[in-house]
Amino acid sequence: MRYMLMPERREAPGDPMPKPSGPSEEGGGPRRPETGSPDKDNLLKRMRKVDPKQAERYRQRTGE
Amino acid sequence: MHLFGIETEYGITREDLDAVDPVEESMELVRAHLPGKFERRWDYRGEDPHEDARGFRVSGLQQDKEEDDFAKVDAHRPFSFHEMKSDLVLPNGARFYNDHTHPEYSTPECRTLKDLLAHDRAGERIVQRAADRRNQQLGGAHVQLYKNNTDFHGHSYGCHDNYLVSRSLPFAQLVSGLLPFLVSRQLVAGAGKVGMEAQESGFVPGPFQLSQRADFMEAELGVDTMHNRPILNTRDEPHADPTKYRRLHLILGDANMCEYATALKVGTTRLVLDLLQRGIVPNLELEQPVAAIKQLSRDPDLKTTVRLKDGRTISGLAIQEEYWNAVSRCCAGSDPDADWVLREWQETLGVLRQDRTQLVGKLDWVTKQWLLETFMREERLAWEDPWLASLDLEYHNVNPDRGLYLGLEAEGKTWRMTSERDVAQALVAGPSDTRGGLRGLCVRRFPEQITGMQWERVQFAGGLRARTLEMGDLFEPDAVQACAALLEAAASPADALAAWTRRKDG
Repeated sequence: MRYMLMPERREAPGDPMPKPSGPSEEGGGPRRPETGSPDKDNLLKRMRKVDPKQAERYRQRTGE
Repeated sequence: MHLFGIETEYGITREDLDAVDPVEESMELVRAHLPGKFERRWDYRGEDPHEDARGFRVSGLQQDKEEDDFAKVDAHRPFSFHEMKSDLVLPNGARFYNDHTHPEYSTPECRTLKDLLAHDRAGERIVQRAADRRNQQLGGAHVQLYKNNTDFHGHSYGCHDNYLVSRSLPFAQLVSGLLPFLVSRQLVAGAGKVGMEAQESGFVPGPFQLSQRADFMEAELGVDTMHNRPILNTRDEPHADPTKYRRLHLILGDANMCEYATALKVGTTRLVLDLLQRGIVPNLELEQPVAAIKQLSRDPDLKTTVRLKDGRTISGLAIQEEYWNAVSRCCAGSDPDADWVLREWQETLGVLRQDRTQLVGKLDWVTKQWLLETFMREERLAWEDPWLASLDLEYHNVNPDRGLYLGLEAEGKTWRMTSERDVAQALVAGPSDTRGGLRGLCVRRFPEQITGMQWERVQFAGGLRARTLEMGDLFEPDAVQACAALLEAAASPADALAAWTRRKDG
Protein backbone atom coordinates (compact mmCIF):
# COMPACT_ATOMS: atom_id res chain seq x y z
CA MET A 1 0.00 0.00 0.00
CA ARG A 2 1.30 3.46 -0.84
CA TYR A 3 -0.03 6.63 0.68
CA MET A 4 0.87 9.77 -1.17
CA LEU A 5 -1.43 12.44 0.16
CA MET A 6 -3.64 13.05 3.12
CA PRO A 7 -7.09 11.88 2.10
CA GLU A 8 -10.01 14.07 1.32
CA ARG A 9 -12.34 14.25 4.31
CA ARG A 10 -16.03 14.03 4.49
CA GLU A 11 -18.41 15.29 7.14
CA ALA A 12 -17.72 14.00 10.62
CA PRO A 13 -20.33 11.49 11.75
CA GLY A 14 -23.60 12.88 13.06
CA ASP A 15 -25.49 12.16 16.25
CA PRO A 16 -25.13 10.86 18.82
CA MET A 17 -21.46 11.63 19.06
CA PRO A 18 -19.74 14.27 16.99
CA LYS A 19 -21.62 17.27 15.81
CA PRO A 20 -20.86 18.01 12.17
CA SER A 21 -19.06 21.22 12.87
CA GLY A 22 -15.69 22.77 12.26
CA PRO A 23 -13.07 23.20 14.96
CA SER A 24 -14.87 24.26 18.07
CA GLU A 25 -14.27 27.58 19.73
CA GLU A 26 -13.27 26.04 23.03
CA GLY A 27 -10.08 24.67 21.51
CA GLY A 28 -11.01 21.07 20.84
CA GLY A 29 -13.44 18.75 19.02
CA PRO A 30 -15.86 17.55 18.04
CA ARG A 31 -14.59 18.56 14.71
CA ARG A 32 -13.87 17.15 11.33
CA PRO A 33 -10.30 17.06 10.15
CA GLU A 34 -9.20 19.72 7.74
CA THR A 35 -9.19 18.82 4.09
CA GLY A 36 -5.93 18.52 2.26
CA SER A 37 -2.38 17.54 3.01
CA PRO A 38 -1.04 17.57 6.54
CA ASP A 39 1.68 19.93 7.58
CA LYS A 40 4.08 17.18 6.78
CA ASP A 41 7.14 19.22 7.68
CA ASN A 42 6.08 19.66 11.29
CA LEU A 43 5.25 16.03 11.74
CA LEU A 44 8.37 14.81 9.97
CA LYS A 45 10.40 17.10 12.18
CA ARG A 46 8.82 15.47 15.22
CA MET A 47 9.50 12.02 13.75
CA ARG A 48 13.14 12.82 13.02
CA LYS A 49 13.64 13.76 16.68
CA VAL A 50 12.78 10.20 17.73
CA ASP A 51 15.90 8.30 18.74
CA PRO A 52 16.29 5.32 16.37
CA LYS A 53 17.42 3.20 19.33
CA GLN A 54 14.47 4.13 21.54
CA ALA A 55 12.54 0.88 21.01
CA GLU A 56 15.69 -1.14 21.55
CA ARG A 57 16.10 0.41 25.02
CA TYR A 58 12.42 0.26 25.93
CA ARG A 59 11.79 -2.69 28.26
CA GLN A 60 8.61 -3.53 30.13
CA ARG A 61 7.47 -6.38 32.29
CA THR A 62 4.65 -8.58 31.07
CA GLY A 63 1.26 -7.18 31.96
CA GLU A 64 -2.20 -8.54 31.44
CA MET B 1 -29.00 -2.88 29.08
CA HIS B 2 -25.69 -1.51 27.84
CA LEU B 3 -22.74 -0.88 30.08
CA PHE B 4 -19.07 -0.93 29.14
CA GLY B 5 -15.67 0.30 30.20
CA ILE B 6 -12.01 0.14 29.21
CA GLU B 7 -8.97 -0.72 31.32
CA THR B 8 -5.66 0.51 29.90
CA GLU B 9 -2.24 -0.54 31.14
CA TYR B 10 0.29 2.09 30.10
CA GLY B 11 3.92 1.43 29.28
CA ILE B 12 6.26 3.47 31.48
CA THR B 13 9.90 4.35 31.16
CA ARG B 14 12.56 6.62 32.70
CA GLU B 15 14.81 8.08 30.04
CA ASP B 16 17.46 9.21 32.53
CA LEU B 17 18.17 5.71 33.82
CA ASP B 18 19.81 2.73 32.17
CA ALA B 19 17.78 0.28 34.25
CA VAL B 20 14.21 1.13 35.18
CA ASP B 21 12.36 -0.47 38.08
CA PRO B 22 8.78 -0.59 36.73
CA VAL B 23 7.27 -1.52 40.10
CA GLU B 24 8.63 1.53 41.83
CA GLU B 25 8.11 3.83 38.85
CA SER B 26 4.46 2.82 38.43
CA MET B 27 3.84 3.21 42.15
CA GLU B 28 5.47 6.64 42.24
CA LEU B 29 3.59 7.73 39.14
CA VAL B 30 0.19 6.86 40.60
CA ARG B 31 1.06 8.55 43.87
CA ALA B 32 2.19 11.67 42.03
CA HIS B 33 -1.50 12.11 41.23
CA LEU B 34 -2.27 12.59 44.92
CA PRO B 35 -2.12 15.96 46.66
CA GLY B 36 -1.86 14.19 50.03
CA LYS B 37 -0.62 10.86 51.36
CA PHE B 38 -1.87 7.57 49.97
CA GLU B 39 -4.74 5.97 51.87
CA ARG B 40 -5.74 2.40 51.33
CA ARG B 41 -9.34 2.31 50.10
CA TRP B 42 -9.70 -0.38 47.44
CA ASP B 43 -11.32 -3.54 48.77
CA TYR B 44 -9.88 -6.59 47.00
CA ARG B 45 -12.44 -8.98 48.44
CA GLY B 46 -14.56 -8.56 45.32
CA GLU B 47 -11.76 -9.74 43.02
CA ASP B 48 -11.26 -13.38 42.18
CA PRO B 49 -9.72 -14.10 38.78
CA HIS B 50 -9.76 -17.89 39.33
CA GLU B 51 -13.45 -18.52 38.54
CA ASP B 52 -13.92 -19.77 34.98
CA ALA B 53 -17.14 -19.07 33.07
CA ARG B 54 -17.04 -22.62 31.71
CA GLY B 55 -18.11 -23.78 35.15
CA PHE B 56 -14.98 -24.54 37.11
CA ARG B 57 -12.32 -22.88 39.21
CA VAL B 58 -8.61 -22.92 38.43
CA SER B 59 -6.08 -23.35 41.20
CA GLY B 60 -3.61 -20.85 39.80
CA LEU B 61 -2.91 -18.51 36.92
CA GLN B 62 0.02 -18.95 34.56
CA GLN B 63 2.85 -16.53 34.12
CA ASP B 64 6.03 -16.98 32.18
CA LYS B 65 9.33 -17.97 33.74
CA GLU B 66 10.74 -14.47 33.58
CA GLU B 67 7.74 -13.13 35.50
CA ASP B 68 8.12 -15.94 38.06
CA ASP B 69 11.63 -14.67 38.71
CA PHE B 70 10.46 -11.08 39.00
CA ALA B 71 7.74 -12.12 41.43
CA LYS B 72 10.35 -13.63 43.74
CA VAL B 73 12.17 -10.30 43.81
CA ASP B 74 8.92 -8.40 44.37
CA ALA B 75 8.22 -10.51 47.45
CA HIS B 76 11.26 -8.99 49.14
CA ARG B 77 10.56 -5.36 48.34
CA PRO B 78 10.14 -2.99 51.31
CA PHE B 79 6.52 -2.26 50.33
CA SER B 80 3.29 -3.94 51.32
CA PHE B 81 0.92 -5.28 48.65
CA HIS B 82 -1.32 -2.25 49.13
CA GLU B 83 1.56 0.18 48.92
CA MET B 84 2.72 -1.35 45.65
CA LYS B 85 -0.78 -1.30 44.20
CA SER B 86 -1.43 2.30 45.33
CA ASP B 87 -5.03 1.79 44.30
CA LEU B 88 -6.93 5.06 43.82
CA VAL B 89 -10.58 5.74 43.08
CA LEU B 90 -10.91 9.14 41.45
CA PRO B 91 -13.71 11.71 41.71
CA ASN B 92 -14.86 10.69 38.22
CA GLY B 93 -15.44 7.10 39.35
CA ALA B 94 -12.34 5.76 37.57
CA ARG B 95 -9.70 3.52 39.12
CA PHE B 96 -6.04 4.45 38.78
CA TYR B 97 -3.41 2.09 40.16
CA ASN B 98 -0.29 0.04 39.60
CA ASP B 99 -1.35 -3.22 37.97
CA HIS B 100 1.31 -5.76 37.12
CA THR B 101 3.99 -3.07 37.02
CA HIS B 102 2.02 -0.83 34.69
CA PRO B 103 0.03 2.27 35.61
CA GLU B 104 -3.53 1.30 34.80
CA TYR B 105 -6.48 3.59 34.25
CA SER B 106 -9.92 1.96 34.28
CA THR B 107 -12.72 4.18 33.07
CA PRO B 108 -15.91 4.34 35.09
CA GLU B 109 -18.72 2.28 33.64
CA CYS B 110 -20.33 4.06 30.69
CA ARG B 111 -23.65 3.64 28.94
CA THR B 112 -22.91 5.58 25.73
CA LEU B 113 -19.97 5.65 23.36
CA LYS B 114 -19.63 9.38 23.74
CA ASP B 115 -19.16 9.05 27.50
CA LEU B 116 -16.70 6.21 27.03
CA LEU B 117 -14.56 8.20 24.60
CA ALA B 118 -14.51 11.19 26.93
CA HIS B 119 -13.43 9.01 29.85
CA ASP B 120 -10.80 7.20 27.81
CA ARG B 121 -9.34 10.58 26.82
CA ALA B 122 -9.64 11.80 30.42
CA GLY B 123 -7.54 8.78 31.39
CA GLU B 124 -4.78 9.85 28.99
CA ARG B 125 -4.80 13.33 30.52
CA ILE B 126 -4.76 12.03 34.10
CA VAL B 127 -1.83 9.67 33.59
CA GLN B 128 0.10 12.36 31.71
CA ARG B 129 -0.64 14.89 34.46
CA ALA B 130 0.76 12.40 36.97
CA ALA B 131 3.87 12.04 34.76
CA ASP B 132 4.23 15.83 34.63
CA ARG B 133 4.11 16.01 38.44
CA ARG B 134 6.54 13.13 38.79
CA ASN B 135 8.88 14.82 36.31
CA GLN B 136 8.69 18.01 38.34
CA GLN B 137 9.85 16.00 41.36
CA LEU B 138 12.64 14.47 39.29
CA GLY B 139 13.71 17.77 37.77
CA GLY B 140 13.34 16.82 34.11
CA ALA B 141 11.05 15.19 31.56
CA HIS B 142 12.37 11.74 32.35
CA VAL B 143 9.15 9.71 32.70
CA GLN B 144 7.36 8.91 29.46
CA LEU B 145 4.11 6.96 29.14
CA TYR B 146 2.89 4.90 26.20
CA LYS B 147 -0.70 3.90 25.45
CA ASN B 148 0.34 0.78 23.53
CA ASN B 149 0.63 -2.95 24.10
CA THR B 150 4.19 -4.09 23.47
CA ASP B 151 7.81 -3.33 24.30
CA PHE B 152 9.12 -4.96 21.09
CA HIS B 153 10.96 -7.53 23.20
CA GLY B 154 8.16 -10.03 23.70
CA HIS B 155 6.41 -8.34 26.66
CA SER B 156 2.82 -7.31 26.18
CA TYR B 157 0.40 -5.41 28.41
CA GLY B 158 -3.28 -5.00 27.93
CA CYS B 159 -6.14 -2.77 27.01
CA HIS B 160 -9.23 -4.66 28.09
CA ASP B 161 -12.76 -3.82 27.03
CA ASN B 162 -15.55 -4.95 29.35
CA TYR B 163 -19.28 -5.40 28.80
CA LEU B 164 -22.18 -6.21 31.10
CA VAL B 165 -23.96 -9.26 29.68
CA SER B 166 -27.04 -11.10 30.87
CA ARG B 167 -26.26 -14.39 32.60
CA SER B 168 -29.18 -15.88 30.66
CA LEU B 169 -27.05 -15.95 27.51
CA PRO B 170 -25.40 -19.41 27.54
CA PHE B 171 -21.63 -19.07 27.63
CA ALA B 172 -21.15 -21.60 24.82
CA GLN B 173 -23.36 -19.46 22.59
CA LEU B 174 -21.39 -16.38 23.55
CA VAL B 175 -18.17 -18.13 22.55
CA SER B 176 -19.34 -19.49 19.21
CA GLY B 177 -20.99 -16.23 18.29
CA LEU B 178 -18.09 -14.01 19.25
CA LEU B 179 -14.91 -15.80 18.16
CA PRO B 180 -14.99 -15.05 14.40
CA PHE B 181 -16.00 -11.47 15.11
CA LEU B 182 -13.17 -10.97 17.60
CA VAL B 183 -10.58 -12.57 15.32
CA SER B 184 -11.49 -10.09 12.56
CA ARG B 185 -12.20 -7.02 14.76
CA GLN B 186 -8.59 -5.91 14.34
CA LEU B 187 -9.44 -4.72 10.82
CA VAL B 188 -11.14 -1.71 12.39
CA ALA B 189 -9.59 -1.70 15.86
CA GLY B 190 -5.96 -2.75 15.36
CA ALA B 191 -3.37 -0.21 16.47
CA GLY B 192 -0.75 -1.43 13.99
CA LYS B 193 2.74 -2.76 14.71
CA VAL B 194 6.12 -2.92 13.05
CA GLY B 195 7.59 -6.42 13.02
CA MET B 196 6.68 -9.60 14.86
CA GLU B 197 7.24 -10.98 18.32
CA ALA B 198 5.81 -13.49 20.76
CA GLN B 199 5.83 -14.12 24.48
CA GLU B 200 9.40 -14.46 25.69
CA SER B 201 10.77 -14.41 22.16
CA GLY B 202 12.82 -11.73 20.54
CA PHE B 203 11.51 -9.05 18.24
CA VAL B 204 11.77 -9.77 14.55
CA PRO B 205 11.95 -6.50 12.63
CA GLY B 206 10.00 -6.46 9.45
CA PRO B 207 6.74 -5.68 7.77
CA PHE B 208 3.84 -3.89 9.31
CA GLN B 209 0.86 -5.75 10.78
CA LEU B 210 -2.61 -4.67 11.86
CA SER B 211 -2.51 -5.52 15.54
CA GLN B 212 -0.22 -5.11 18.53
CA ARG B 213 -1.77 -8.01 20.44
CA ALA B 214 -2.40 -10.69 17.78
CA ASP B 215 1.16 -12.03 18.18
CA PHE B 216 0.40 -12.71 21.84
CA MET B 217 -2.83 -14.69 21.40
CA GLU B 218 -2.06 -18.33 22.12
CA ALA B 219 -5.40 -19.95 22.95
CA GLU B 220 -9.05 -19.73 21.93
CA LEU B 221 -10.38 -19.72 25.47
CA GLY B 222 -8.84 -19.44 28.89
CA VAL B 223 -8.87 -17.72 32.22
CA ASP B 224 -5.23 -16.57 31.97
CA THR B 225 -4.25 -13.05 31.02
CA MET B 226 -0.44 -12.92 31.36
CA HIS B 227 0.60 -16.14 29.67
CA ASN B 228 -1.08 -18.40 27.14
CA ARG B 229 -3.43 -15.49 26.46
CA PRO B 230 -6.83 -16.37 25.01
CA ILE B 231 -8.83 -14.66 22.29
CA LEU B 232 -11.82 -14.92 24.59
CA ASN B 233 -11.05 -14.62 28.27
CA THR B 234 -13.23 -16.87 30.41
CA ARG B 235 -12.68 -15.09 33.73
CA ASP B 236 -16.00 -15.15 35.57
CA GLU B 237 -15.73 -12.08 37.74
CA PRO B 238 -18.95 -10.17 37.08
CA HIS B 239 -18.49 -7.29 39.54
CA ALA B 240 -22.29 -7.41 39.67
CA ASP B 241 -25.06 -9.71 40.88
CA PRO B 242 -23.66 -13.06 39.65
CA THR B 243 -27.12 -14.61 39.32
CA LYS B 244 -28.10 -12.04 36.70
CA TYR B 245 -24.97 -10.86 34.97
CA ARG B 246 -21.64 -11.74 33.44
CA ARG B 247 -18.83 -9.35 32.66
CA LEU B 248 -17.37 -10.08 29.26
CA HIS B 249 -13.69 -9.31 29.81
CA LEU B 250 -11.92 -9.04 26.46
CA ILE B 251 -8.14 -8.98 26.58
CA LEU B 252 -7.32 -9.28 22.89
CA GLY B 253 -7.81 -5.64 21.96
CA ASP B 254 -5.19 -3.02 21.21
CA ALA B 255 -4.98 0.34 22.99
CA ASN B 256 -6.32 2.86 20.50
CA MET B 257 -5.25 6.44 20.07
CA CYS B 258 -7.94 7.19 17.46
CA GLU B 259 -11.25 8.01 19.11
CA TYR B 260 -13.08 6.72 16.04
CA ALA B 261 -11.35 3.31 16.34
CA THR B 262 -12.25 3.11 20.04
CA ALA B 263 -15.87 3.92 19.19
CA LEU B 264 -16.00 1.23 16.50
CA LYS B 265 -14.20 -1.35 18.66
CA VAL B 266 -16.61 -1.03 21.55
CA GLY B 267 -19.66 -0.10 19.48
CA THR B 268 -19.43 -3.09 17.13
CA THR B 269 -18.77 -5.48 20.02
CA ARG B 270 -21.79 -4.11 21.87
CA LEU B 271 -23.96 -4.69 18.80
CA VAL B 272 -22.72 -8.25 18.30
CA LEU B 273 -23.56 -8.94 21.95
CA ASP B 274 -27.05 -7.54 21.31
CA LEU B 275 -27.33 -9.92 18.38
CA LEU B 276 -26.29 -12.93 20.45
CA GLN B 277 -28.66 -11.98 23.26
CA ARG B 278 -31.47 -12.18 20.72
CA GLY B 279 -30.45 -15.77 20.03
CA ILE B 280 -28.93 -15.09 16.61
CA VAL B 281 -25.50 -16.59 15.89
CA PRO B 282 -23.92 -16.06 12.43
CA ASN B 283 -23.07 -19.33 10.71
CA LEU B 284 -19.30 -18.95 10.87
CA GLU B 285 -16.95 -21.29 12.67
CA LEU B 286 -13.23 -20.82 12.20
CA GLU B 287 -11.12 -23.93 11.83
CA GLN B 288 -8.14 -22.43 13.70
CA PRO B 289 -8.98 -19.12 15.39
CA VAL B 290 -5.54 -18.63 16.96
CA ALA B 291 -3.76 -19.07 13.64
CA ALA B 292 -6.41 -16.94 11.92
CA ILE B 293 -5.94 -13.92 14.19
CA LYS B 294 -2.22 -13.90 13.35
CA GLN B 295 -2.78 -14.49 9.63
CA LEU B 296 -5.21 -11.61 9.37
CA SER B 297 -2.97 -9.32 11.40
CA ARG B 298 0.02 -9.97 9.18
CA ASP B 299 -1.72 -8.99 5.96
CA PRO B 300 -2.34 -5.22 5.80
CA ASP B 301 -3.51 -5.69 2.20
CA LEU B 302 -6.49 -7.59 3.66
CA LYS B 303 -6.35 -10.29 0.95
CA THR B 304 -5.67 -13.26 3.25
CA THR B 305 -8.42 -15.78 3.72
CA VAL B 306 -8.87 -18.12 6.67
CA ARG B 307 -10.53 -21.50 6.72
CA LEU B 308 -13.90 -22.22 8.27
CA LYS B 309 -14.81 -25.60 9.77
CA ASP B 310 -17.24 -26.24 6.90
CA GLY B 311 -14.37 -26.02 4.41
CA ARG B 312 -15.07 -22.55 3.05
CA THR B 313 -12.42 -19.87 3.14
CA ILE B 314 -13.22 -16.29 4.01
CA SER B 315 -11.42 -12.96 4.34
CA GLY B 316 -11.42 -10.81 7.47
CA LEU B 317 -13.48 -8.19 5.65
CA ALA B 318 -16.06 -10.78 4.63
CA ILE B 319 -16.36 -11.98 8.24
CA GLN B 320 -16.95 -8.41 9.42
CA GLU B 321 -19.50 -7.89 6.64
CA GLU B 322 -21.40 -11.02 7.64
CA TYR B 323 -21.63 -9.67 11.17
CA TRP B 324 -22.68 -6.26 9.90
CA ASN B 325 -25.45 -7.85 7.84
CA ALA B 326 -26.76 -9.86 10.78
CA VAL B 327 -26.56 -6.94 13.21
CA SER B 328 -28.17 -4.46 10.84
CA ARG B 329 -31.18 -6.74 10.42
CA CYS B 330 -31.80 -7.03 14.13
CA CYS B 331 -30.46 -3.88 15.78
CA ALA B 332 -31.08 -1.00 13.37
CA GLY B 333 -33.10 1.72 15.04
CA SER B 334 -32.64 0.33 18.54
CA ASP B 335 -30.85 3.44 19.85
CA PRO B 336 -28.75 6.34 18.51
CA ASP B 337 -25.43 4.63 19.28
CA ALA B 338 -26.53 1.52 17.38
CA ASP B 339 -27.44 3.56 14.31
CA TRP B 340 -24.20 5.52 14.40
CA VAL B 341 -22.14 2.35 14.66
CA LEU B 342 -24.04 0.57 11.90
CA ARG B 343 -23.54 3.50 9.53
CA GLU B 344 -19.87 4.05 10.29
CA TRP B 345 -19.00 0.35 10.46
CA GLN B 346 -20.50 -0.29 7.03
CA GLU B 347 -18.75 2.70 5.53
CA THR B 348 -15.41 1.75 7.10
CA LEU B 349 -15.59 -1.79 5.70
CA GLY B 350 -16.43 -0.37 2.29
CA VAL B 351 -13.53 2.07 2.37
CA LEU B 352 -11.13 -0.66 3.50
CA ARG B 353 -11.94 -2.44 0.23
CA GLN B 354 -11.18 0.67 -1.80
CA ASP B 355 -9.08 3.71 -0.89
CA ARG B 356 -8.19 3.33 2.74
CA THR B 357 -6.30 6.60 2.85
CA GLN B 358 -9.71 8.03 3.75
CA LEU B 359 -9.31 6.28 7.09
CA VAL B 360 -6.17 8.12 8.13
CA GLY B 361 -7.00 9.80 11.43
CA LYS B 362 -9.85 7.34 12.02
CA LEU B 363 -8.20 3.91 12.31
CA ASP B 364 -4.89 3.58 14.12
CA TRP B 365 -3.27 0.95 11.93
CA VAL B 366 -4.04 2.89 8.77
CA THR B 367 -2.83 6.14 10.33
CA LYS B 368 0.38 4.60 11.65
CA GLN B 369 1.12 2.83 8.38
CA TRP B 370 0.61 6.09 6.51
CA LEU B 371 2.94 7.97 8.87
CA LEU B 372 5.64 5.31 8.71
CA GLU B 373 5.50 4.89 4.94
CA THR B 374 5.71 8.65 4.50
CA PHE B 375 8.79 8.68 6.74
CA MET B 376 10.33 5.68 4.99
CA ARG B 377 10.10 7.45 1.65
CA GLU B 378 11.60 10.63 3.06
CA GLU B 379 14.47 8.86 4.80
CA ARG B 380 14.84 5.94 2.36
CA LEU B 381 14.32 3.32 5.05
CA ALA B 382 13.21 -0.32 4.82
CA TRP B 383 10.76 -1.98 7.22
CA GLU B 384 13.68 -3.73 8.91
CA ASP B 385 15.19 -0.43 10.06
CA PRO B 386 15.08 -0.21 13.89
CA TRP B 387 14.06 3.45 13.67
CA LEU B 388 10.58 2.31 12.59
CA ALA B 389 9.92 0.38 15.80
CA SER B 390 10.95 3.51 17.73
CA LEU B 391 8.52 5.61 15.69
CA ASP B 392 5.83 2.98 16.26
CA LEU B 393 6.42 3.34 20.00
CA GLU B 394 6.39 7.14 19.83
CA TYR B 395 3.04 7.10 18.00
CA HIS B 396 1.58 6.06 21.38
CA ASN B 397 3.40 8.53 23.64
CA VAL B 398 0.71 10.45 25.58
CA ASN B 399 3.01 13.41 26.12
CA PRO B 400 1.49 16.03 23.77
CA ASP B 401 4.93 17.50 23.09
CA ARG B 402 6.25 14.20 21.77
CA GLY B 403 3.53 11.75 20.75
CA LEU B 404 3.15 11.29 17.00
CA TYR B 405 -0.58 10.65 17.13
CA LEU B 406 -1.10 13.65 19.39
CA GLY B 407 1.02 15.71 17.00
CA LEU B 408 -1.27 14.71 14.16
CA GLU B 409 -4.28 15.52 16.32
CA ALA B 410 -2.87 18.94 17.21
CA GLU B 411 -2.71 19.67 13.48
CA GLY B 412 -6.41 18.82 13.17
CA LYS B 413 -5.74 15.74 11.06
CA THR B 414 -7.60 13.22 13.19
CA TRP B 415 -11.26 12.66 13.84
CA ARG B 416 -12.07 14.15 17.22
CA MET B 417 -15.30 12.68 18.51
CA THR B 418 -15.09 14.41 21.87
CA SER B 419 -14.92 18.10 22.67
CA GLU B 420 -12.49 19.55 25.17
CA ARG B 421 -15.56 20.33 27.26
CA ASP B 422 -16.51 16.61 27.24
CA VAL B 423 -13.03 15.64 28.39
CA ALA B 424 -12.94 18.37 31.05
CA GLN B 425 -16.25 17.10 32.42
CA ALA B 426 -14.97 13.51 32.41
CA LEU B 427 -11.93 14.58 34.41
CA VAL B 428 -14.09 15.63 37.33
CA ALA B 429 -17.26 13.51 37.26
CA GLY B 430 -18.44 10.11 36.06
CA PRO B 431 -21.40 9.46 33.76
CA SER B 432 -24.60 10.69 35.39
CA ASP B 433 -26.49 7.53 34.46
CA THR B 434 -24.19 4.75 35.69
CA ARG B 435 -22.88 3.46 38.97
CA GLY B 436 -19.48 4.79 37.90
CA GLY B 437 -20.94 8.25 38.33
CA LEU B 438 -22.28 7.28 41.76
CA ARG B 439 -18.87 5.99 42.81
CA GLY B 440 -17.30 9.29 41.82
CA LEU B 441 -20.03 11.23 43.59
CA CYS B 442 -19.32 9.34 46.81
CA VAL B 443 -15.63 10.26 46.50
CA ARG B 444 -16.50 13.93 46.01
CA ARG B 445 -19.22 14.21 48.65
CA PHE B 446 -17.98 12.00 51.46
CA PRO B 447 -14.25 11.37 50.99
CA GLU B 448 -13.49 11.16 54.72
CA GLN B 449 -16.20 8.63 55.50
CA ILE B 450 -15.32 6.05 52.83
CA THR B 451 -13.61 2.99 54.29
CA GLY B 452 -13.65 0.69 51.27
CA MET B 453 -14.55 0.70 47.60
CA GLN B 454 -14.78 -1.75 44.77
CA TRP B 455 -16.70 -1.93 41.51
CA GLU B 456 -20.00 -3.00 43.02
CA ARG B 457 -20.07 -1.30 46.41
CA VAL B 458 -18.94 1.65 48.52
CA GLN B 459 -18.52 1.19 52.26
CA PHE B 460 -18.78 4.05 54.71
CA ALA B 461 -17.76 4.30 58.34
CA GLY B 462 -20.68 4.91 60.64
CA GLY B 463 -21.53 3.80 64.16
CA LEU B 464 -21.37 0.19 65.06
CA ARG B 465 -22.07 -1.26 61.64
CA ALA B 466 -20.52 -0.37 58.36
CA ARG B 467 -22.90 1.28 55.92
CA THR B 468 -22.71 0.07 52.38
CA LEU B 469 -24.04 1.34 49.07
CA GLU B 470 -24.65 -1.86 47.11
CA MET B 471 -24.42 -1.38 43.34
CA GLY B 472 -24.34 -4.98 42.11
CA ASP B 473 -27.72 -4.56 40.46
CA LEU B 474 -27.93 -0.80 40.18
CA PHE B 475 -27.95 -0.28 36.43
CA GLU B 476 -31.25 1.36 35.47
CA PRO B 477 -30.51 5.03 34.67
CA ASP B 478 -33.58 6.29 36.56
CA ALA B 479 -32.54 4.42 39.69
CA VAL B 480 -28.94 5.65 39.37
CA GLN B 481 -30.10 9.23 39.05
CA ALA B 482 -32.47 8.91 41.98
CA CYS B 483 -29.67 7.52 44.12
CA ALA B 484 -27.37 10.34 42.97
CA ALA B 485 -29.97 12.94 43.98
CA LEU B 486 -30.12 11.46 47.47
CA LEU B 487 -26.34 11.42 47.82
CA GLU B 488 -26.16 15.02 46.63
CA ALA B 489 -28.80 16.22 49.09
CA ALA B 490 -27.91 14.21 52.18
CA ALA B 491 -25.85 15.63 55.01
CA SER B 492 -24.12 12.30 55.58
CA PRO B 493 -23.74 8.91 53.92
CA ALA B 494 -25.97 7.43 56.64
CA ASP B 495 -28.78 9.84 55.74
CA ALA B 496 -28.36 9.10 52.02
CA LEU B 497 -28.35 5.33 52.53
CA ALA B 498 -31.40 5.50 54.80
CA ALA B 499 -33.28 7.53 52.22
CA TRP B 500 -32.16 5.16 49.45
CA THR B 501 -33.38 2.15 51.45
CA ARG B 502 -36.75 3.83 52.03
CA ARG B 503 -37.10 4.56 48.32
CA LYS B 504 -36.27 1.00 47.32
CA ASP B 505 -38.63 -0.47 49.96
CA GLY B 506 -41.38 1.96 49.08
